[in-house]
Amino acid sequence: MRCIFRVLLTLPLAAWLAPLCRHVQAGEAYAWNLPKGFPKPNVPLDNPMTAAKVELGRYLFYDARMSVNGKASCATCHQQELAFTDGRAVGIGATGEPHSRGAMSLVNVAYSAVLTWSNPRMKLLEEQALVPMFGEHPVELGLREGDGFVPMLRSDPRYRELFAKAFPAEGDPFSIKNVTRALACFERSIISARSPYDRYHYGGDDGAIPESAKRGEILFFSQPLSCFRCHGGFNFSDTTVWEGRAGREVEFHNTGLYNLSGPLSYPAPNVGIYEFTESPRDIGKFKAPTLRNIAITRPYMHDGSIATLEGVLDHYAAGGRTIASGANAGAGHDNPNKDSLIGGFQLSAQDRADLIAFLESLTDDAALRDPRFANPWQ
Amino acid sequence: MSGHRVFWGGASRGLLALFALSAGVAPAQSPQSPPAVLAVAGDVSSPLQLKADDLAKMPRETVSVREEDGTAVQYEGVPLREVLARAGAPLGKELRGKALATYVLAKAHDGYQVVFALAEVDASFANETILVADKRDGKPLFGYQGPFRLVCPNDKAGARSVRMLETLELVRLRK
Repeated sequence: MRCIFRVLLTLPLAAWLAPLCRHVQAGEAYAWNLPKGFPKPNVPLDNPMTAAKVELGRYLFYDARMSVNGKASCATCHQQELAFTDGRAVGIGATGEPHSRGAMSLVNVAYSAVLTWSNPRMKLLEEQALVPMFGEHPVELGLREGDGFVPMLRSDPRYRELFAKAFPAEGDPFSIKNVTRALACFERSIISARSPYDRYHYGGDDGAIPESAKRGEILFFSQPLSCFRCHGGFNFSDTTVWEGRAGREVEFHNTGLYNLSGPLSYPAPNVGIYEFTESPRDIGKFKAPTLRNIAITRPYMHDGSIATLEGVLDHYAAGGRTIASGANAGAGHDNPNKDSLIGGFQLSAQDRADLIAFLESLTDDAALRDPRFANPWQ
Repeated sequence: MSGHRVFWGGASRGLLALFALSAGVAPAQSPQSPPAVLAVAGDVSSPLQLKADDLAKMPRETVSVREEDGTAVQYEGVPLREVLARAGAPLGKELRGKALATYVLAKAHDGYQVVFALAEVDASFANETILVADKRDGKPLFGYQGPFRLVCPNDKAGARSVRMLETLELVRLRK
């Protein structure tokens, strides 16, 4: 990851990190149309939402020409039907190089105080987009500064029209800076709020979810399980931000997945925010992501090392995972950095079924099929 | 009247520490909904078993709190001081001297517990109306919130607005 930062530093970063001044841009204002319970997302002052930028971002998101060999786009690892994940334990880049962590869902990413599994500094989508575009360790999309990507945009009739609408005040809008702006706008537009649980909880439709899911909800929000303490709020995630509410101190959690002997209790390179803070107390601490659509975003955890939701329940019920043999052998329960909330609990077979039913009620089929988020090139 | 969070998802780390599970394996509660009875117990002269019908006949108030998205939500119910007074808690002129060392332990169906000094609910000490709510926007509380919950409009964090409220226990430290 540090190498990625070196890549970023070679780019004209000042261009990305412009002062947060009001950047007046023409174009149709974006209508969020948020349902009850969902606040208006926070948007950087220098990249206000417009319908034209969202639409341009959608075309870019699905365009494999934004990769070194035309074989991958953002959508390769962030597939709509999988709640913008890829179904893999770890992502695979355009050149076939595996990432060390799994692709995170982009659903409701607009509310995320931090964006990635373990980088406490990565808070802006406009900046994060540069990592898959230009990062070398691993190569994701594999773009290079000065390659043919921007010239392609400038010569493509559709992009000429889309960029002109998105950035009408700019004489030459074809820039990486504007690409990341548009991508960020599209990503912020991906709101999931129409699950059966939303119809039950916010809409008052008592029949929207089965009785089993209602029992599971009570368990989820109960003191003994305390799932909601890390996966809380309307987004069932850790620290969220929205317009008018600045983010609190962002928390990361060691859930006792590993406990290797030696100085690093988690297998490298996935050592959590320790990678950035270099504090031994931060080894193994990762972000608690949203649980919306969790039933279809398997496999689970930062490294995809748990295949099923049942397995995830086993892990938390045991208060940490024990790996009996092999390179990762160890009792995660005893990890010195394990969050005090991961104490373990007992579940009956009915409890398990109820919790799974509740988690399944968070699947938002409408978002997974919403044409506003779909591939515009098809 | 802002600051109340229904989900309590943003509880501070300090609060999280308070809620931390013990090192042992905690048994899960029955997944069934909590019983629709609120017990008022402890050092009171008249212990109570209150049902929704009982609360409906008592003096009721409505408080407005802000949801996460900024919309106002109306919680309706009986002021906590009314509930405690009916059970014989020392309130008003009786709340002096040793009685001031009295607290209310609020217990939820899932084992969650918080405390209030009795003076916090007495009108001569505090301006806030802490509510034993049974309705939200005119509808009975359901699911993990109900059938009864506390609503503390002036608390900055929502963690004392106990969901699935089951028992109010009065504890006198000095008798």
